[in-house]
Amino acid sequence: MCVGLPARVVRISKGTALVDASGAKRNVSAELLDSVEPGDYVMVHAGIAIAKITSDDNNEADAVMDKLEGAAATI
Amino acid sequence: MNESAERARNIIENYNGKKIRIMEVCGTHTHEIFRQGIRKLLPHNIQLISGPGCPVCVTPVSFIDEAVWLSENKHATICTFGDLMRVPGTEKSMLDVRRDGGKVQIVYTPLDAEKYAEENPSEKVVFLSVGFETTTPASCLAVRNAAKAGLDNFSILTANKTMDHAYPLLADSTDAYLYPGHVQAIMGTAICKRLLKSGISGVVAGFTAAELLTAIATCVTLLQDDKPFFCNCYPRVVTDDGSPAARVLMQKYMEPIDAEWRGIGMIPGSGLKLRNEFSQFDARLMFDIPIMHGHSNPACRCGEILRGSVLPSECPLFGKVCTPEHPIGACMVSREGTCSAYYQYGRN
Repeated sequence: MCVGLPARVVRISKGTALVDASGAKRNVSAELLDSVEPGDYVMVHAGIAIAKITSDDNNEADAVMDKLEGAAATI
Repeated sequence: MNESAERARNIIENYNGKKIRIMEVCGTHTHEIFRQGIRKLLPHNIQLISGPGCPVCVTPVSFIDEAVWLSENKHATICTFGDLMRVPGTEKSMLDVRRDGGKVQIVYTPLDAEKYAEENPSEKVVFLSVGFETTTPASCLAVRNAAKAGLDNFSILTANKTMDHAYPLLADSTDAYLYPGHVQAIMGTAICKRLLKSGISGVVAGFTAAELLTAIATCVTLLQDDKPFFCNCYPRVVTDDGSPAARVLMQKYMEPIDAEWRGIGMIPGSGLKLRNEFSQFDARLMFDIPIMHGHSNPACRCGEILRGSVLPSECPLFGKVCTPEHPIGACMVSREGTCSAYYQYGRN
């Protein structure tokens, strides 16, 4: 129940998004997100999209490690 | 794995400083850390402690007893997340209730429970509303939809909890928290920054191998400075502001109450109940449920495990009479539970 599922938005209509999570499609509520469009990636929890996913985890790892190594230099 | 994640892995594997304790609060973190083999990378001086972030695991025995009572005495149709089915109550689980002829439906989301109630007006439908800030908004949307549809056969039995009061209570058990990424996706980073001002360190962590490695490496590195720290290591999902829309929704429908955490006890202000204006959807009021005093197996050490003070292998029931097939404690029931993860991946 507590597992977040990353999914791609296929279609959106009246606050409901059809999402594709590794091939499995289902409708979820998208009304908590300000703006979401087909092609966006979202994090789904218990049938609602709770957040947009803004990049992949490799880019994120680069940013986190660059920041950490900058901070570590001052320790 | 990219080069940055490899650098994070090197920091962890080659750490040879003082002994440090890092608590992963979220049950999914516990599971993913095992599943991705990250525990095997840890040198002996990095201890990962599994905290109380599995909502099924901290749901009290009395809550299951209330659901059993609703089925047996009010013939309610119980809608529940599948994880709750085998959680033992004092005498029965929901699985036992269904075996005995009670109507129990497994749903993916509370929204499906509300829809079921619309489609079955002759049934009294109760959704078992457990979860932290990630799942509570879905329960609020279900109540909103039920109100819009004018339903009088839908209610929720609340055991929703919030994490912010648990962090200070458990701070002595750890040197730094891995904050649960998806709770923070809703709540933002303000709570983490408040904890930082109280001297409590932590990083927000995601769930992939790269995210967990970079989050742990950040803790390992920054703990060397002996100064409290906070870092958002999951920025692709978690923003400082989180989800204001979800918080507005929760504040509209729910209000804080004192709540019992299975194995930990009462934590003031850490639970949520429906506000008075939505009390017609509160199962406790709709059915006048008597106060339950649940009793768990006295040998079960889930409470200490949830506080990070003992390992599952130190429980006399673990792996013997308590297994995923025949769970005694809630930590063995849920796939996200600490005992379940240790049983499946480690047993050490």
